[in-house]
Amino acid sequence: MTEKPTDRRADDKESSDDVEEVFGEPTAADGGTPIDGGTAAPFRTTSDVSESRTDRYRRIFRNYVVTPFSIVRNDKRALIGITILTIYSLAGLAAIFFVEPTESFEGQPYVQPFETWEFPFGTNQMGHDLFSQTVHSVVPIFQMMIAGALFTVIVGTTIGVVSGYKGGLADRVLSTLTDVFINLPGLPLVIVLAVLFNPENEVMVGILLSVAAWAGLARSIRSQVLTLREESFVEAARAMDIPTSLILYKEVLPHLMPYVMVNTANAARGVIFSAVGLYFLGILPFTSNNWGVMLNQAYEVDAYFRPIAFHWLIIPVVAITVLSIGLILLAQSLDRVFNPRVRARHADRADIDPEEEEGDATMTMGQV
Amino acid sequence: MTAADPDRSMPRADDPIAEVRNLTVAFEMDRGQSRVVDDLSVDIERGEILGVVGESGSGKSMFASSLMDAVVEPGVASGDVTYHPPSGESVDVLELSKGELQELRWEEVAMVFQGAMSSFNPVRTIRDHFVETLSAHDYNVSDGLERARELISDLYMDPERVLSSYPHELSGGMSQRVLIALSLILDPELLVMDEPTAALDLLMQRSIISLLDGIQEKHDLSIVFITHDLPLVAGLADRIAVMYAFEMVEMGPTDELLTDAAHPYTRALLNSTPNLRAPIDRMRSIDGESPDPVNIPSGCSYHPRCPMADEQCREVDPEPYRVDGDHAANCHYWEEAAEAVPAVTEEFDDAGEMGAAATERTPERRSGEPVLSMDDVEVYFEQESSAFSLFSDPDDVKAVDGIDLDVYDEDVVVLVGESGCGKTTLGKTAIGLQRPTGGVVEYRGQDVWQARDLVGDIDIPYEEIRQSLQIIHQDPGSALNTHRRVRAVLETPLKRWYPELDGNDRRERILGMLEYVGMTPPEDYIDRYPFQLSGGEMQRIALIRALLINPELILADEAVSALDVSLRVEMMDLLLELQDTFDTSYLFISHNLANARYITEKADGRIGVMYLGELVEIGSPERIINDPKHPYTQALRWATPELDPDDDPGERPMRKIDIPDAANPPSGCRYHTRCPEAREACRHQRPELVEAEGEEPGYQQAACFREYEDHEYWDSEPITDEDDADSVDSGTGPGTAEADD
Amino acid sequence: MDWRVERLTQGLLTVFLVITLSFVIIRFMPGNPMDYILAQMSGDATGATSGEGGASGSDMEQQYELVQAYLSMNPSDPLHVAYFDYMSNTLRGDLGQSIYYSRPVSDILGRAMPWTLFVLSWGLAIGFVLGIITGSLIAYWEGSKLDVGLTAYSVIMGSIPYYVLALLLIVYMAYRWQIFPTNGRVPEGVTAGLNWPFIKGIIYHASLPIASTVVFSGIASLSMRGNAIRVLGEDYLRVARLRGLSDGVIATQYVARNAILPLYTGLMISIGSLFGGSVILETIFRYRGMGYYLVQAANARDYPLMMGGFMLLTICVVIALFITDLTYGLIDPRAGDENREAF
Repeated sequence: MTEKPTDRRADDKESSDDVEEVFGEPTAADGGTPIDGGTAAPFRTTSDVSESRTDRYRRIFRNYVVTPFSIVRNDKRALIGITILTIYSLAGLAAIFFVEPTESFEGQPYVQPFETWEFPFGTNQMGHDLFSQTVHSVVPIFQMMIAGALFTVIVGTTIGVVSGYKGGLADRVLSTLTDVFINLPGLPLVIVLAVLFNPENEVMVGILLSVAAWAGLARSIRSQVLTLREESFVEAARAMDIPTSLILYKEVLPHLMPYVMVNTANAARGVIFSAVGLYFLGILPFTSNNWGVMLNQAYEVDAYFRPIAFHWLIIPVVAITVLSIGLILLAQSLDRVFNPRVRARHADRADIDPEEEEGDATMTMGQV
Repeated sequence: MTAADPDRSMPRADDPIAEVRNLTVAFEMDRGQSRVVDDLSVDIERGEILGVVGESGSGKSMFASSLMDAVVEPGVASGDVTYHPPSGESVDVLELSKGELQELRWEEVAMVFQGAMSSFNPVRTIRDHFVETLSAHDYNVSDGLERARELISDLYMDPERVLSSYPHELSGGMSQRVLIALSLILDPELLVMDEPTAALDLLMQRSIISLLDGIQEKHDLSIVFITHDLPLVAGLADRIAVMYAFEMVEMGPTDELLTDAAHPYTRALLNSTPNLRAPIDRMRSIDGESPDPVNIPSGCSYHPRCPMADEQCREVDPEPYRVDGDHAANCHYWEEAAEAVPAVTEEFDDAGEMGAAATERTPERRSGEPVLSMDDVEVYFEQESSAFSLFSDPDDVKAVDGIDLDVYDEDVVVLVGESGCGKTTLGKTAIGLQRPTGGVVEYRGQDVWQARDLVGDIDIPYEEIRQSLQIIHQDPGSALNTHRRVRAVLETPLKRWYPELDGNDRRERILGMLEYVGMTPPEDYIDRYPFQLSGGEMQRIALIRALLINPELILADEAVSALDVSLRVEMMDLLLELQDTFDTSYLFISHNLANARYITEKADGRIGVMYLGELVEIGSPERIINDPKHPYTQALRWATPELDPDDDPGERPMRKIDIPDAANPPSGCRYHTRCPEAREACRHQRPELVEAEGEEPGYQQAACFREYEDHEYWDSEPITDEDDADSVDSGTGPGTAEADD
Repeated sequence: MDWRVERLTQGLLTVFLVITLSFVIIRFMPGNPMDYILAQMSGDATGATSGEGGASGSDMEQQYELVQAYLSMNPSDPLHVAYFDYMSNTLRGDLGQSIYYSRPVSDILGRAMPWTLFVLSWGLAIGFVLGIITGSLIAYWEGSKLDVGLTAYSVIMGSIPYYVLALLLIVYMAYRWQIFPTNGRVPEGVTAGLNWPFIKGIIYHASLPIASTVVFSGIASLSMRGNAIRVLGEDYLRVARLRGLSDGVIATQYVARNAILPLYTGLMISIGSLFGGSVILETIFRYRGMGYYLVQAANARDYPLMMGGFMLLTICVVIALFITDLTYGLIDPRAGDENREAF
């Protein structure tokens, strides 16, 4: 979840008994008969009980933690996706504390996988423990992945939202920039930059690999914002003089979130693919051991046509593929977290008919 | 259904073209079977126009689809639909094989759908659509195209241009007419029209209706016309059938049904339909909601909403009772219905009542300082093609072109006009949401945009102006953010304007407001998402949102047109009631003269008529309705159907059906290309608003040379269609409907 | 103004910016090519690059001239003169001299370019057609086992990096089973020209790279499935059925034509990454196209060749995008409308 749970205005006012009468005297004299027969009192109503911090936090907790969790819990794809990512994360963390980095000639060369418990993934030509190499790759790969995905999504969403919502000159400049970056072939640009900068820090690698990846996202976010900007509810918010930042955050962004989530996962996948690809090509400097480096080394010794070394090639490939599947599944299910219909069903409430959704579908069908 | 008792049976046709017996359309769903047409029987007479009227969700579209066995999956139609061709064997439509169905559809029974735009393949030309239909049925293509040309030109369009167009190049009204032509290309016997005009402007609706009469005669058609809009078919249909809760509840000749309806639902529906004549203070909407198809009430399905319901109604489903002749109603107590639900239209000859309410408040009331004042306001939109438009030639759309308008305290002004006339743009300019490209908008004497830009002496800060001018949108569905609960939606303005309130205060206030507008129990509504609300409820939330910050002027942009007919009056009443409570002024926008009349007459307001960015006439409702001065207002008046069987559309008071392109409006008086009264002078000079003849100042103003006492108009030559041959169908092009909406 | 002109302007702007970028990189970046070459030449003649690199001891003037020859840029020129020279040289096709191959960059890349385009265009075309056909089939049998199977297959294919598939192909098809050659573009020992053995050899050598590209664009079938299902639910399809049109007309003129449109715009977005992907594929298959040379140059720090490869690839992408954009106008009459999302 990228939303911060502290969006509510922190009005620490504890007493509300003396709220001034903000509305003029109601003219409930003769004219209209209000439906409930009362006066215009509701416009001045305040509560007798003031809201405690606990109440507020409980509400926030329910909206941002309980409901999403309940939705995710009931979705198979999400469960598989989360499980995969959790296993990877745990493996990466465990590696730091429990798995020693491997050294040359730790074991015999070319021990086959699952032969001994000492080397569950076998060893390579130099007797390196491939299991150790694999799990020690997780942290650097995750660093690149997260840095790259965040960079792509933050830059893409920001540029898309700003150019779509602001319009005018800002839009022209940003759209032209976006179009230029879309025209650039991503990988060659990255190769050129990688050769020049020789990035050694994982975060830098992640960002470098995403340097042109944000453009596609920015363009489609822009066109979605262009539509959203004209929606009545956004106009109503503008009419109420709600600050632009709040409109974007509260009214516009929730509609983009499913799309942004899917793109975060895709961007993460893209970073892994290009990173591994470039390590494989030997273009990025080998500062840490990771799956791309493993692939490169295996390829260099012609592991592809030597059955004895073949596992050296396969292990990193499987590691990448499973991670990628986990990301796809998670992204697909995360968009449900933002679907109000699904949220309503999973909200911690009993008074909403769980079949409301179906009822709605009936009405539409009846009108076909 | 038994026909044993002649008094308790449905009317039979002498020479039916189609007989529907015990038709049921059902959907299997998780929570049970959903019957969207329930045991329905009806005859369609050869050569008649049968109007089928029902609210949305009454099952009328499913009935229409069943007539050619075209119910969409997973719906299943059962029962008998017998089609009698002019010669040869009768067929049971629901039993036909695929090949037989192909011969029946379009050759014998054709259909026109509501969304004409989405009925065409976007990547094929109109000609392709005609050709492929002809060849699929082995018709001679060149003869068929000749017929297509004739049909298109009968519908007032240029055949060659239309045939070579792609669907997206036609305006909404044109594509609807092309769809009618396409439905008639194989010369069918029976034409089923499912809300064919619902998406169109009133003027276009009426034009199409008036063309239909001629088409029906010329091609010897039987027509089933399905609509939610009772007045629309009043002047067209020979017979009307009323659907409620998935079955027919009343059927009879149009005049009898309108003047002497026997079913309480029909009577209530008639009473809730705004029109130009019925006394406004007697109109009532129908309480309650239409039933859910899975859970239809036992007995008479209308009994939960019916004032006369008793034990029998709750238990016994009424069979049709013959009222007389061809008129039948499914009501046990049809004889008492007239008394229980008195018609409001009965006294419509009593004109005194109409004027009386309005005289107490006169133009003098509008003498103080206006809340809002617009002076020579212009809004031009640049037509830009994309963000990268370095080369675009500036082709401005003059959405609003030089309008003066003042709105006073507790005033009500309704702007009417066709879509694309700039009424929404003008409204948004009035409340400061759209920056005018020319002219001045003042709130209580303070220039709104100077306050915004902090230019000059500012008496009223922009913030205060912003709080005072609010908006209620047309589509309640899009007026609320689908991702936010009612509570969050309503908290937003409170947090912005009353930061001293804490969460519990806000909650209490929102609960109070929900209760105030009749959404009880409010605790049930506050945590709902918009999709869990009905259209009327969403509109109430939007209304509360605007009122919560206590504005002085509310722009209501077609605020009721998205609601069901029976709910509109209720919503308008609520708006006016809140006006009394909160001293708000309203600027309404409507394309419907009947709604405009209802509101303005009740609130003693004014109606302003807009055409292509200009205000052509403004005045009190009784003047505008009873004695329109501008020819365009007269056309709008003509286009507003009445609940009157004798309401023959008559001759169209316009020379052209389609509205000119707003990006390239005609010179002089912009209406001269369609105006039947236009003369040469109208081509070159632009008339200003002047006080109408014979009226006290302030009641009525019109921008037409015929209101000028001495003008060269009176000496110039009339413009006829022949002179204008060059501008045939200038409405072609997607630019037509862009400025608005 | 016409949208085609806008697209063209956009493309030209991109090319212009890329050349400028490459100028900036060469001249200003830390560890930039100019300094690198100067260092190579003034330092001891390692001979690491080529024989010409050993011109040590020559004065600055001579070194600058050599840099000029390699990079089309004289370090002693003032900035604007250098920039103008570089721009005009590049636009005239003079991309400098390769250090590693000691040949003009334009010569190397000019010979390599047709091979890259050959593989990519065939891979793209075959992948596109296959995607359309399989996508339509899955859509037609929506919900069947075939649908589930093919959808799962597509998800897995989308999860495997394309170069891994290329690796598997070369392992099995070339090394293990020796059906296809492991590297190269043309058959050895066959006279070049329009004779069948030569053409057959070309196809033979290009098969694996093309097959990998096909897989790369195979994701199209998933999006085709979604589009076709969406079109099947459109109003106009229902009207067409009621009008009695034959299944053939509905399938081709209604479903296929409308479902292809979003696919085509999707293709436009992925052209950039497709050309980018060719870099890795060509290296794996040692297929000497532009991408192959780009990687070679990057690994050998052959800056002129690397920058030239990058610029040429960009220009190819711009041209390819422009062509797709123009042809889109042929299949969608609404192209150029304001509301069209331009890709």
